[in-house]
Amino acid sequence: MSTRVGRLWLAVATAFVVAFVGLPLGFMLREVVWDGEALNLGPLGEILAEEHDRTRLLVSLALGLGATACAVALGLGYAFLTFRTDLPAGRALAPLGVLPLVLPPILVAMAFADLVPTQGFAACALLLGLCNAPFVAVLASRGLRAVRGEAYEAALLARGRGAAERWLLRAIAPEVLAGALFAFALVISEHGVPEFLTVKGKTWHTYAEGIFAKWTRRATGVDHEALASPIVAALPLVAILALALFVALRLRARATIEGDHRPLPVRALGRWRWPALALPGIYLGAGVLLPIVVMARWAAGSTDAGGALSLERFAASFRLAGSEAAGDLGTTLAVGAGTTVVLLFVGLPLAWTAARRWARIDALAILPIAVPAILLGIGLVRVYNRDLFFAFYDHGALLVAAYAARFLPFCVLTLSSAVRRVPAELEEAASFAQRGPFVRSLRVHLPLYAPALVSVACLVSVLALRELDLAVVLPAGNGTVVRRLSNIVHFGGEDMGGALALLLLLAALVVPLFARIVSGRKLRSVS
Amino acid sequence: MTAIDVRELVVARGDFRLGPLSLAIASGSRTALIGPSGAGKTTLLRCIAGLDTPSGGDVAFDGASLFVGAQGAIAPNRRGIGFVFQRGALWPHMTALEHLRFVAPDLSREAALAGLARVGLDAAMAGRRPAALSGGEGQRLALARALATGPRVLLLDEPLASVDQDLRDELAQLVRGLAEEDGLTLVVVTHEREEALALADELAVLRGGRVIEHGPALELLQAPRTAHTAAFLSGATCFAAVPGANGSLQTPLGAVPRPVGEGPWSLVVLPDDLVACEADQEACVSARVLRCEPGLGGFRVYAYIAGRSVVFGSSAARAVGEDVRLALRAAPRVLGLDGEGAQR
Repeated sequence: MSTRVGRLWLAVATAFVVAFVGLPLGFMLREVVWDGEALNLGPLGEILAEEHDRTRLLVSLALGLGATACAVALGLGYAFLTFRTDLPAGRALAPLGVLPLVLPPILVAMAFADLVPTQGFAACALLLGLCNAPFVAVLASRGLRAVRGEAYEAALLARGRGAAERWLLRAIAPEVLAGALFAFALVISEHGVPEFLTVKGKTWHTYAEGIFAKWTRRATGVDHEALASPIVAALPLVAILALALFVALRLRARATIEGDHRPLPVRALGRWRWPALALPGIYLGAGVLLPIVVMARWAAGSTDAGGALSLERFAASFRLAGSEAAGDLGTTLAVGAGTTVVLLFVGLPLAWTAARRWARIDALAILPIAVPAILLGIGLVRVYNRDLFFAFYDHGALLVAAYAARFLPFCVLTLSSAVRRVPAELEEAASFAQRGPFVRSLRVHLPLYAPALVSVACLVSVLALRELDLAVVLPAGNGTVVRRLSNIVHFGGEDMGGALALLLLLAALVVPLFARIVSGRKLRSVS
Repeated sequence: MTAIDVRELVVARGDFRLGPLSLAIASGSRTALIGPSGAGKTTLLRCIAGLDTPSGGDVAFDGASLFVGAQGAIAPNRRGIGFVFQRGALWPHMTALEHLRFVAPDLSREAALAGLARVGLDAAMAGRRPAALSGGEGQRLALARALATGPRVLLLDEPLASVDQDLRDELAQLVRGLAEEDGLTLVVVTHEREEALALADELAVLRGGRVIEHGPALELLQAPRTAHTAAFLSGATCFAAVPGANGSLQTPLGAVPRPVGEGPWSLVVLPDDLVACEADQEACVSARVLRCEPGLGGFRVYAYIAGRSVVFGSSAARAVGEDVRLALRAAPRVLGLDGEGAQR
């Protein structure tokens, strides 16, 4: 990065962040404080002024806490059992902890709603907890990996088993708490699942739903306050999210995995060895298998009144998906691939700078995820929905840019963490080679960061395939599979939807599996 | 002829400040930059290598400036230097042979194998990655990589620190031999006296971001010009020497003559400068025995004088806590604390 090419690359990445994060948010802020003629801070006085806003915020916080508790119970339990104990097939199960992330939460909600009445607060908290449990599972595993076996054994020798286990829990607490805060932030900014449950008869609403409702109503607004209201309403949520994510980031930074050290000794479960499989069973069964089964049943015709499930119907649903939604699937895959490429290009120089030069980039990088996706989408609409940019606004390229901006934190945080683990001397040693900067990057830098780059590519491509909130706001999002799936709620067509969902899952699994097979490495750096 | 000329170099980074520092390293010499942690040794070496950019001053190779000029700073790979990092900094994904052929693309396979053989790595090791090499083999590979580009100057950052004690002498001999063979100017950074003496003939002592003494290693050891050099290189004990009556200096070991020049002064006592004396003898001071170690020619006794530890030889064993009387064997050595870039 110290070369001219490196500086140019960093400048391009910074320009991207300015164009797709800074400008949209700047426009939104301007819209709040500038009424077209003068500075007008009036709309800021409306923050939480209405009773139902305050109620919704409390509901969101309660939902966040409930779902986070569920995510911690499932995620920590899963990580502990698969990483720390002699659970049957624990080694094989451990990396599967990330799997529920592959499924869009809306899909999981639709699957559950198909089997059992799913509308209450507890059901919503359980669903969102289940969908976000991988954050806790992955970070708890990271924490367990970072603990030195000798340190645990020292506690064991000094104070006995119970005290040593308590010591271990305290040692990994920052990571678990970081995972919990990530889950909390994503739950309270989630819009799709609560809205879906409203269709199923839910009578309460979240704060994120309120923001979206204000946005859809703003077309009828005439004065500055009304137009600025969805943005103003989002500010408390942004503040909570930014705080939660910032704390999570600080906590996560505490555990650094340094080189090779003796791992924690495996703990024997004794007679609980086989019964303990129930927790990973519930985790993967409810988070992955059940939605897949429901989607398969839909494809086989389960939603037809009086119709029996059949393989013919199953095949017909796939044919129908192929003929009617092949374009959507193509768009979704192209957007996923494009997002991954753009994000790696933009994220790498920023992550390198964060790790080697300016650590505050890590903190700044959380901004796009601290802002609810709906709000970021609205900001992008405000900036690019104009004559000059209309072709771009209407094109999938804006969706790619929007997704890349939204997932930038995952990329920057993962890569900067990986860069920090590589001693700077390894890069510096290359500067004495009689080679140009491009060859040095290709032959030395890239292989050093390849595992992390592969992990980021897998994560981002999967997230891009399942992203709904931005797809709802941006015009090109209408052509994505996840948008079509969410429309099933209103317009039916579960048979083709089931087939499409299965195809989407297949696509989401192909990338990590391919990377795993080709690289022969575990995709660990994702944490 | 001067190979490396460091001129008024300044590096300011947060609380750390190096310089202004000037140092001339002769062509073909072997120089160790030695000093305690935080003295600025590695920063100076990294500026010479081009890995760090100074805030002020310049470094010149054979009279040509590296930092000041129309083309800006010269890139590390255009300076004609080889660099051996403390822990090797080997690339985990490359074999030993690939390391050499990557840094020197014109090197044939045979030449690369010969380069490995020069440092004692045989053809069987050429296909191994760093993870399959021992610590000593890894450091040999780092040396081979640094030499592969045919440098004029070889810079080494604590090259023996990560190597087992029994391999250190062997590696030091290898480095010296290769430097001599290729006529290299060698600059090594270390905070260990033994490593410095094993690799270099000249020492530059750094403290607080400045070179306080620079000269031939033997001279610095035998006749240090500053109290810090004496303490750091020879393990000397330094006692404060404050002005006393009749223009002399008062020390815990009695009055000593004041040298010419400005203070502050220290009375420097090298190991074995002290000798046990009879109880009734004048010019003796009391000391309390801390530890007594048997040696080949008698005992080495560690004792306290005025809160400082000193060492003296004794033919008889001394009991811990015993009070002994000590006197200086030779004329007192009074030195300044540091000598503001003292040169020889």
